[in-house]
Amino acid sequence: MIEIEHLTKCYGSFRAVGDVSLSIPKGQVLGLLGPNGAGKTTIIRVMTGYLPPTLGRASVDRFDSVTQSQEVRRRLGYLPESNALYGEMRVIEYLDFRGRLFGLSREARRAAVERVIERCWLKEMRRRQIGRLSKGYRQRVGLAAAMLHNPPVLVLDEPTSGLDPIQIRETRHLIRELAGDHTMVLSSHILPEVEVTCDRIVIIARGAIRADGTVDQLRQKAGDVQRYVVEAQPGPEAATVCEAIGRLPGVTKVDAISGDGWMRYEIAAASGTGDLREALGRVVSEKRLPCRELHRDSGSLEQLFVRITAEVEAA
Amino acid sequence: MKQTIAIARRELLAYFSTSVGYVVLALFLLISGLLFALTTLHTGVEASMRSFFDLSFFLLLFIAPAISMRLISEEMRLGTIESLMTCPVSDAQVVMGKWIGAVGFFLAMLAPTLLFPLVLEWYSAPDYGSIFAGYVGLILVGSLYLALGTLASAIWPSQILAYLVAVFFWLIFVGLTSWLPRFVGDPWSAILFKMSVELRYSNDFAKGVIDTSTIIYFVSGMVLFLTAAVKIVESRRWR
Repeated sequence: MIEIEHLTKCYGSFRAVGDVSLSIPKGQVLGLLGPNGAGKTTIIRVMTGYLPPTLGRASVDRFDSVTQSQEVRRRLGYLPESNALYGEMRVIEYLDFRGRLFGLSREARRAAVERVIERCWLKEMRRRQIGRLSKGYRQRVGLAAAMLHNPPVLVLDEPTSGLDPIQIRETRHLIRELAGDHTMVLSSHILPEVEVTCDRIVIIARGAIRADGTVDQLRQKAGDVQRYVVEAQPGPEAATVCEAIGRLPGVTKVDAISGDGWMRYEIAAASGTGDLREALGRVVSEKRLPCRELHRDSGSLEQLFVRITAEVEAA
Repeated sequence: MKQTIAIARRELLAYFSTSVGYVVLALFLLISGLLFALTTLHTGVEASMRSFFDLSFFLLLFIAPAISMRLISEEMRLGTIESLMTCPVSDAQVVMGKWIGAVGFFLAMLAPTLLFPLVLEWYSAPDYGSIFAGYVGLILVGSLYLALGTLASAIWPSQILAYLVAVFFWLIFVGLTSWLPRFVGDPWSAILFKMSVELRYSNDFAKGVIDTSTIIYFVSGMVLFLTAAVKIVESRRWR
């Protein structure tokens, strides 16, 4: 449904996105994950036809986003990151205006406006001026406007920014509901969000794709490196603990952090070295140190995300 | 076309929901009403709106840029341009829609001045032909000013800058074409006089003459400015 081929976008001499290729099949919910400034919004803006690529191309439903921009726009519902709205308009006026821009007839417009007002929980706010709405409600108006013409593709840039926890849950629920008959791209830097809502996750950092897969695949990838945490009291033997742990098979890194009278050891080990918990327990007991915690972190997206961004930053 | 009208309609409504719109409207009506009363409503003065039309020409130099300054710059400043330009509308439709909205507001601003001929009617028998021609001229001049204003607001994202540039452009243009020709010899003076908005307006419309060449002059000016504005909006993508 959406094809991005060798997309490069430069702003002056700054290369925001470099050689990104991505194919999103019909019905998929794709999460673009990345730290701020990674290039998510740029990719989305090229996809929607708002910006032309410097090199490469993007297409939606086989329509080119530059040469057939109008066709692309008709098929696309877009919630921009800034979600800028006309503050002087009432919610219902704004949605009606958007309906006109998409060429909906009077009846179709009325029905569409009612539908999205219902779906985005805007009923009580329908006659309110947009400028007087809270950020959360404004976000809903932006979402309603994106859904208004019932497009097959929805592109939502940071859809839950500014929402309170309950609204975030409701929005995630709505996104899951819409997922059935829409192809969706949503960008976020909030991990649980994409984890819960997306079929597939693409991690972007410094303008390039760093990881791409389903939530499970990425979790597995995150588990490539096993992590353990040990918290013990710092005794006279403490200095040798790091050393002893470091000698265990497969251990690649040991960090010792002291705080509130306890010493926290964060251990990274290569995968395929088996479970090190028993060995770690032995080390601590041999040194006769009181221990209050010993556990293994299962691979999480967050670890992968942090690792990837750290690697990219270090490079 | 539907989309252009939708944009024009939104623009027009926006003028009436901001204080700036009402301030501009009130200022224009107050000043033009005062001028009309002071220059025309005297014993022995001809019952025509000549002086109103002549003075409105200069008044519009300052009023029209205030109407047009927000058109595109406001969209860029707020960021609403992004959701507008990802709707199925062309850049030309956006520019045209905005300009038509501004012209609509200008017409709404002129509408109450239709009371002036009624006042004249009360006292004597005005020549409606020349009043009609005067209004046609005023609408053409206003639309031309607004077209340049649209261009200025496409170039400068700051409303104040868009306003000042438009005002200075017209002051310089009027100066160059209406005042400078008196000092330069032929053939320059003839060419400059031909380009003068003021002379075309006051020699034709304000006198009650509707000349096709003058209409073409105004319309081509609008086409020129609006096309340039479309190009500027298009160029935003390539910057």
